[in-house]
Amino acid sequence: MKGLMTPQLIRITEIYDDGEASRHFTFEPVTGISHPASPGQFFTLAIPGHGEAAFTYLSLPDVRGQFKALIRRAGTLTSALFQRSRGDLIGFRGPFGNCWPLDQLQGKRVLILAGGIGLPPLAAVADHLSADDKTPVGLIYGSRSPADQVLQHERSAWHKCMPILETFDHPSNGKQLIGTPLDHISQMTAKLGGAPEAILTCGPEVMMSAAGRHFAANGLPPENIWLALERRMHCGVGECGHCYLGSSYVCTDGPIYSWQQLARLQSQTTA
Amino acid sequence: MKRFLLDRIDRLRDHLASQRPLFTPQGNDGSAELNWLPLTRETPPTATGRPRLPTCPAKQFFFPEREILFRFDGNDFKETLPKPTPQILFGVRSCDLCAIAYQDRFFQQDPYYQARRRATLLVGIDCQIPCDGGFCPTVDAGPFVRDGMADLVCHQQQDEGWLLMAQSAEGEALLRGLDLKAAETSRIDQRTRAQQQVIARFPPATHIETGIQRINRAEVPAGQWQALGLQCLACSGCTSLCPTCSCFTSYDRPAADGFERERCWDSCLYDAFQREASGHNPSATAGQRVERFWFHKFSDEYAKTFGRYGCTGCGRCEKTCPGVIGVHSVMKSISAAP
Amino acid sequence: MDAATHNISRIINTICPFCGVGCGIGLRVEQEKITGVEPLVSHPVSQGKLCAKGWSTAYAVDPIDRITTPLIKENGTFRPASWDEAYRVITEAFSTTIAQQGADALGVIACARATNEDCYAAQKFARAALGTNNIDHCARICHSPSVAGLRQTLGSGAMTNSINDIEKADLIVVFGCDPTENHSVLGGRIIGAKMAGARLLVIDPRKTRLAQMADLHLQLQLGTNIALINGLLQIIFANGWEATEFLNSRCENEAALRARVAEYPPERVAAITGVPEEKLIAAARIYTEAERALLTYGMGITQYTTGTNNVISISNLALVAGQIGREGTGINPLRGQNNVQGACDMGALPNVFPGYQEVAEPASRARFATHWQRPLPERKGLTSLGMTKEALNGNLRCMLIMGEDPVVTDPDQHHVQRALEALDLLVVIELVMTETAAMADVILPAAAFSEKEGTFTNCERRVQRIAPAIPAPGEAKPDWQILGELAGRLGYHGMAWPNAEAIFNEIATLSPLYQGMSYPRLAKNHGLQWPCNEQAPNGTSLLHSKAFSRGKGRLIPVSHAGPAEMPDEAYPLFFTTTRLHFHYGCGSMTRKSPLLERETPNGVLFINPADAQALAIKPQTKVRISSRRGEVETRAVITDEVPPGTVAMPYHFKEAPSNRLTNTAQDPVTKMPELKACAVRVTNLEAECK
Repeated sequence: MKGLMTPQLIRITEIYDDGEASRHFTFEPVTGISHPASPGQFFTLAIPGHGEAAFTYLSLPDVRGQFKALIRRAGTLTSALFQRSRGDLIGFRGPFGNCWPLDQLQGKRVLILAGGIGLPPLAAVADHLSADDKTPVGLIYGSRSPADQVLQHERSAWHKCMPILETFDHPSNGKQLIGTPLDHISQMTAKLGGAPEAILTCGPEVMMSAAGRHFAANGLPPENIWLALERRMHCGVGECGHCYLGSSYVCTDGPIYSWQQLARLQSQTTA
Repeated sequence: MKRFLLDRIDRLRDHLASQRPLFTPQGNDGSAELNWLPLTRETPPTATGRPRLPTCPAKQFFFPEREILFRFDGNDFKETLPKPTPQILFGVRSCDLCAIAYQDRFFQQDPYYQARRRATLLVGIDCQIPCDGGFCPTVDAGPFVRDGMADLVCHQQQDEGWLLMAQSAEGEALLRGLDLKAAETSRIDQRTRAQQQVIARFPPATHIETGIQRINRAEVPAGQWQALGLQCLACSGCTSLCPTCSCFTSYDRPAADGFERERCWDSCLYDAFQREASGHNPSATAGQRVERFWFHKFSDEYAKTFGRYGCTGCGRCEKTCPGVIGVHSVMKSISAAP
Repeated sequence: MDAATHNISRIINTICPFCGVGCGIGLRVEQEKITGVEPLVSHPVSQGKLCAKGWSTAYAVDPIDRITTPLIKENGTFRPASWDEAYRVITEAFSTTIAQQGADALGVIACARATNEDCYAAQKFARAALGTNNIDHCARICHSPSVAGLRQTLGSGAMTNSINDIEKADLIVVFGCDPTENHSVLGGRIIGAKMAGARLLVIDPRKTRLAQMADLHLQLQLGTNIALINGLLQIIFANGWEATEFLNSRCENEAALRARVAEYPPERVAAITGVPEEKLIAAARIYTEAERALLTYGMGITQYTTGTNNVISISNLALVAGQIGREGTGINPLRGQNNVQGACDMGALPNVFPGYQEVAEPASRARFATHWQRPLPERKGLTSLGMTKEALNGNLRCMLIMGEDPVVTDPDQHHVQRALEALDLLVVIELVMTETAAMADVILPAAAFSEKEGTFTNCERRVQRIAPAIPAPGEAKPDWQILGELAGRLGYHGMAWPNAEAIFNEIATLSPLYQGMSYPRLAKNHGLQWPCNEQAPNGTSLLHSKAFSRGKGRLIPVSHAGPAEMPDEAYPLFFTTTRLHFHYGCGSMTRKSPLLERETPNGVLFINPADAQALAIKPQTKVRISSRRGEVETRAVITDEVPPGTVAMPYHFKEAPSNRLTNTAQDPVTKMPELKACAVRVTNLEAECK
């Protein structure tokens, strides 16, 4: 293990495109030593000369330490990453942050709400829950248009073991659902066999807040609504200060917060 | 720990300087400034009387403004931990010592900070007179050095000479060879009483107390923060001079054989501090950022973790803020009835 | 391992290299590297404060991308060369050109960022070593109208009062300038004065930070300054609010001014400027009522084809109200660059020697010729824009540019590039590879402000010493030394100074303004304000207290004329250029700071919400801005800080060079280009592709 701030080398072992400007990457540590990580945690990738940025696990490290990430080209670092090929070495640090509250979900009806690029951070927890017979789980996935959807491969696997609704701001045909994930709650409730008892959500902050307000107003305890937040995370260890959210740091206290925790943090300041 | 009587404080300074490089506040090049600089033949005697804080706190010794974290030599990432030579900071005031203790805790995992910190011995001096703009008693950071915050503590006694207290084994070891008399226990009580007298001489700081309450009750209207935000020129002066501010950013620079990652002081008052690649900014207004700064300094939430507020009452932000929103100005504004 | 100790070895007190405020900074040196700055609490101007640029000085002079040897371009790429070879190439080209076409085929651009000593050397090099008055610098594009206008009305073109006067005023007028962004420490003192009870009047088309704090903001249309001031003067005279005694005893030509401003009644002025009549009346009232009203102005006055007349009308206003010649009053142009005042004082201008002694005066020419032991050219020199024009005409064949980046900072970028390409030889003295340096045939590496001795003169005429903190990298050396050596190669040996102090002593001998100054005296006093001579041995904080430099203050009637280019159907929006707090000039220094670079990464266009809505522009939408001269692409920032119908762009970014759009239409007096107003069209590029 290297120091707190110094990346270790990992190898890109597989790359394929998924959706508009998004790509799947599979990584493997050059040491061959795996690191334990939980659904919801994140890691950073460093490309010399281009800095470092945070990403979430699409699949968790296996015994050889192989793990996957879905990465969208957004800034200079991701552009540089998209220039890399299979076999190339880059820098890695992690895992960082907390994880989805798996033990608190057992036996509850769980609804996963994903918006756009918010689906990948939910993939590992969806995998985990779909393997658990006692925990019914459903997914509503909202995207701008069918072309913006990601995780084709993963979704077809989930379709076999959980109800999934896919909705669009701009559908391409009349059969597709239109609107935000929140517009289709009652349909999902019917498929789940009852109102959800826990919410996991990741996506644009407006969507997550709307979901939090909706379920809290409908009597779901705010401690059972979970959101994955995004902030500029640089150091991952609660030092650099960039990812503050009230008195917490998203990189160490988050990225997963309950609606209850979030409400408390947001009430700390007024401006 | 042991207590001694010392006739002249600079006898101690010279004795320590003969063992390790020693830094002490002094005017650079004979100017009226006060900076942390190495002791030389030209360094004037340690000042007594009304204390003046050095322009910058001591944090730069442990958390430098710019620091290389690692290098990439084309093949691998190589951590570049500092290998500091042992050093002494002489004449640190209680506010700055409290801030060092705060950062010791904040950076407890940080190998760069800790390497520098472990190589440094701190010699504190009790402030006998309130300094200009300081309010350390209000935030429990002075005027006398708190127990355990320095390796050696110097206290100027009212009758004559100095009381020298060794508060660490390493500090005590450095005194070896210095001709000192043991001090009576009564000297400690005298020091406690003396502190009460100094505290009484501080101007009232009800604006600070009220401001702290209002921040913790989230009672300051958003509009008032926005008005204060308009005065923030985002210069980074407050965060540069605040002895507890610790935010940093890092970036890659080309180096001889590849790249190096440098971390450098950042400021939460910059618009782009939290701005994301998409343009979305969770703290998009100057009012939000100004509120954030003061929340970080005065919230009880942080006091729970650090055992004290992030403000140690040094008053440097007031002196360096071009927009007139340092601690006194802000706390006066927010403590006034809305 | 050099990542070792970071022990502070020393702190060198010097002057901030950015704007004309001239704040005191201490450069922290650790292991022979500048790692940070400490503000100087004892400095009379900055008093322990700095702006974001000042705090980032350590990055600005970072050795990371410095040019460290002379470079000669061969087949389009630069190769390192010896000083000897570089000087030989330059000497040959210069000598040939002089032989073929005369010395006026050569031109020198000095630099408002360089020291007084460097600027003095540059103009002496042009005049004595080359034999031409073709010497200019970027004051042309900032405050040449101030110099020209105020010399006519008052006799001196500098700030009349001092920065310390801000706290003495009970009204502060901020006219066409944005001091909290561009002169932040001075702007902060205006905030401080406002907090302490002074009133604040802001006259600016943009809703600047100070406008938002102001007691009164007149948001005038671009390019209507003269109409507005004439309107204020009409109101003042009509109500009898003028300072009668002051006008009688200290001013001349009142009747002519009265007659002219009578043509500007409030309703007409409101129509031209867009400022409601009641606001005009209120402004006229508070300016004349104030016991002490201090007026500052900036590029919003000077960067127009009417720049000189704008300055004259500012002067008319202050004279009529009697708000000049006392502490806490005055006309105070805010100089943009750290040493633009000094570069002018040094005579790095085509028409004057050091101390504003006219080249056209035979007596002053004789005086300098005797001192410099060279016959001096009589013909008035070319301005910087004149030089680029003559380069295109083939009449100017070689140029030496010292530390300026006209390709980014001058109007109509394509014109400048073509002109520089047309030269036989372009020599650039620089720290780093700027856009202009990249076009050079020979680059000579210069020492930065942190690596040499010298002086800067701030906007309040305070001459301050800078001090070297570290050695210059590689073979870089001070500009004055380079010019002295080059002069020697050209056969002129009057510039072989042993050090910067020797140059300063020569300046003090030749310029009455600096006569009483010396390095030891400057060091002792945190600088001295000129004039400093036998009459004022400790310098002068207040000009014109008993009489104006020219005797009586001259009132000169001027008339409103709109910008040379007005919006029309093809180019429906007004376009203006601005500066950002976080950047400076062409950005070659500030953009090296990762923090300042992050603040405004790609260049931006500021657009009013109403205009944005009409074009379906959202925050960060990609836009194209086109004018008759060129086009630029950048991203939109929607803000009501710009009025409807006007868009604004900062000029610091080479990726989005606003000066591809700006107009070269010039002030007839000073040749100041109209950088503050032209007509553009904005296209929403994201709407196009959908």
